[in-house]
Amino acid sequence: MAVVRHLTARAGSLLLTLWLVSILVFWAGQVLPGDVGRVMLGPFADAQAVAELNRRLGADQPILVQYWHWFSKAITGDFGDSLAMRAPVAPFVLESIRKSSALAGVILVLLVPLGVGAGVIAGLNAGRLVDRLIVLSGVSLAIVPDFVSGLLLLIVFGLWLSWFPINGVAPDGAGFWTNGYYLILPALPLVLNLAGYIARMTRAGVIEAMAADYTRTAVLKGLDRREVVVRHVLRNALTPTIAVLATQSGYLLGGLVVIEALFGIQGLGNLVLNAARGRDFPMLEAGVLVMAAIFVLSAAVGDLLQALLDPRQRRRVSS
Amino acid sequence: MTKRSDIDALRAQSGDIWNVAVDEYAGGYLKRRDLLKYAALIGLTGFAASQGLGFPGRALAAGKAGGTVRVGLGQPTKAIDPVSVTDPASIGVISQVGEYLILDDPKDGLQPKLALSWEADETAKRWTFKLRPGVKFHDGRTVTAGDVVASFERLVDPASGSSALSAYKGILSKGGAKVVDDETVAFDLDGPNSNFPFYVSSDVYNAVILPADYAGDFEKNFNGTGPFKLESFRAKQGASFVRNTDYWGDKALPDRIEIKFFDDEQAQVLALQAGQLDVIPSTPRLELSIDGNPNFKLLSVQASSHDQVHLRTDQAPFTDKRIRRALALTIDREAVVKGLLKARAIVGNDTPFAPIFPSADTSVPQRKQDIAEAKRLLGEDGVPNGFPVTLTTERAYDIPDYAVLIQNFAKKAGIDIKLNVLPQDAYYGSATFGSSPWLDSNLGITDFGHRGTPDIFLNATLKSSGAWNAAHFNDPAYDALLLDYGKARDLQAQRLVAGKIQTLLLDETPLIISYFSQYSRIVSSKVEGVRFTAISHLLLDRVSFV
Repeated sequence: MAVVRHLTARAGSLLLTLWLVSILVFWAGQVLPGDVGRVMLGPFADAQAVAELNRRLGADQPILVQYWHWFSKAITGDFGDSLAMRAPVAPFVLESIRKSSALAGVILVLLVPLGVGAGVIAGLNAGRLVDRLIVLSGVSLAIVPDFVSGLLLLIVFGLWLSWFPINGVAPDGAGFWTNGYYLILPALPLVLNLAGYIARMTRAGVIEAMAADYTRTAVLKGLDRREVVVRHVLRNALTPTIAVLATQSGYLLGGLVVIEALFGIQGLGNLVLNAARGRDFPMLEAGVLVMAAIFVLSAAVGDLLQALLDPRQRRRVSS
Repeated sequence: MTKRSDIDALRAQSGDIWNVAVDEYAGGYLKRRDLLKYAALIGLTGFAASQGLGFPGRALAAGKAGGTVRVGLGQPTKAIDPVSVTDPASIGVISQVGEYLILDDPKDGLQPKLALSWEADETAKRWTFKLRPGVKFHDGRTVTAGDVVASFERLVDPASGSSALSAYKGILSKGGAKVVDDETVAFDLDGPNSNFPFYVSSDVYNAVILPADYAGDFEKNFNGTGPFKLESFRAKQGASFVRNTDYWGDKALPDRIEIKFFDDEQAQVLALQAGQLDVIPSTPRLELSIDGNPNFKLLSVQASSHDQVHLRTDQAPFTDKRIRRALALTIDREAVVKGLLKARAIVGNDTPFAPIFPSADTSVPQRKQDIAEAKRLLGEDGVPNGFPVTLTTERAYDIPDYAVLIQNFAKKAGIDIKLNVLPQDAYYGSATFGSSPWLDSNLGITDFGHRGTPDIFLNATLKSSGAWNAAHFNDPAYDALLLDYGKARDLQAQRLVAGKIQTLLLDETPLIISYFSQYSRIVSSKVEGVRFTAISHLLLDRVSFV
């Protein structure tokens, strides 16, 4: 019962957040210079043509009227037509989510073993050389911006060695593995960027768990080291790491504008950026709302996972 | 030396207007190439062919047929539609399938395409075009005079979302295009215009001939008359085209054209270097990365594109023309061309008359850097130690660097320029007076793309009522000269008025135009016969692989 209450409250706050975000996007759109007609026809277009286009698109209506038009349709699931692409918004947004999810999936598949593995090794060897090396390389990689590492990786692996294609988009009809292969190079900058962070989180959890009473008890019980690490240390040490990974998924789905542009992946970040540039409000609203929903939901999933994995929190949720 | 008999043969071609040009040619004032371009302008379309003037790439027509040309372009900013197109990537795509009445070729001037010939009446207010018979759209329907008229009526209709409306303002209005018979179209203009053929040419990139029942859904089938037809299109990703076997002219050499859209120019050049692309657009930054590499070629055409510095003539400190001249005199144009533009430009003389326009009067003295004279003029106006001023401009192309150069040149005369560099869309604002840094700023720099004639620059940026008159230049003498220029029917008369306009603009200096750029593309050394215009058309039908 308490869980149902908890989930209802969560859903309510999600809807409220999305509604506020939709207002904010609309308002922000009004303070951007220029209008949709001008952006579509270019700075040198005739004022009369621009005014006519704005009238046809309804962009000359008062902001509240425009918002109401959009909102009354959006709650029925109709996000309208893109002004720039002259086609319904939904397929574009869904396609961009698909592309972003594929990229995020490849990132996680590479990131989790690397980050968690390095973190566990560092945590179990705290203070030794291997620990220092892992922490130092993690920090060093984290400060390289993704557009720099992305470009370097492209030059080395795409151009010099020709191991990977330059473009992150597999040809039409390519299978699951081919699509994945095309996404390895775009995923690597993020993997390198985040691996150090995930490793540090894991390392801290491992060190804390190794020092905990239950670990000492397990060791005193005479369990062998491997069993202690797997059954007692990792289970407890990975809780914060999993929560962090869940909250990062929002960023991985909507925040990779630079990487998407560099590798030609038409993901969600790219979609929102181009919609903002083109003052394409229906597209912008849909893109930002999806992004906001992903952020809120991934934070919620992170909380939930943490609650399920951490007995102290589990009791708090169900009481 | 031209033989007298050749000149007589040339004279036999047409009437008085033509003979003025022939006289100029005989006197050595007009190059042969310019004479041929002029022949095309007044409708002597058979003349160029009779002089053995081939199309560039025509010699390559014997090149090997077959293969797929892979092209990288930027990301189109909106749905691809010839009527509303404004971005270079979309123009590149459209030029695979769409055609114009006339192609304005950068090397050879006006080339007949869907129009076979054209002529003006005595007033230059009515122009008549004979259409090429038997041309078919990709959907199999024959192109009629009705399609041609509908194409232009659409462009001059404010309700159609046409982005060509400003190009036709004061030239052609709704109802101006008329069907004469199945293969003849006439245009009744708003006023005399000797350069009208340019307005129905590829220079107005929207003027693609489309079916009369075109409904704005170009992306559905890319239905045009061009040498390639659509194979597949994926919004935001790219498009592919195959040879149009029903094409009216020489069939395209390549089997296929494959176009990929890129959000990032670095990725584009890397794909070219990795051998995954054959042709990409060029920017100075990209040119550095292929410089000296034998695997790539940089192809360039001289254009009339330029970055226009406007000085607001109705606001201090630029109300006095001596102050405006002083700032213009601080600039070392040769240094700008050599340094900033890597010599891929020609020096400008503070007027829109680029040397590539046959009507430009090249005898008008070139303005050169003269700091002493600049200081003298400032002293004369009571500001011997210079003055502070803000230069507002856009973050686009080389413009921010050009702004820094101007700032440094001006310092030499004591003029203290502060820079205010805005994102491009913020700079243009709503592009109307009162709410646009471009049109309202005291001193600014704006990029202007290539045009085939100086008309639009002269009208829109300098006429007192001009929609892009950022200098707020209001000079009745100039406006009167502009009318004379429009009425001038032959080259000599045009050049006479052009000389007066150039002299007036040098004296008044509402604008500083230091250079006219070249337009370039980077291509793989494996391909031959890539042609393009300075406004982003990409012509690939004569491409072959070596």
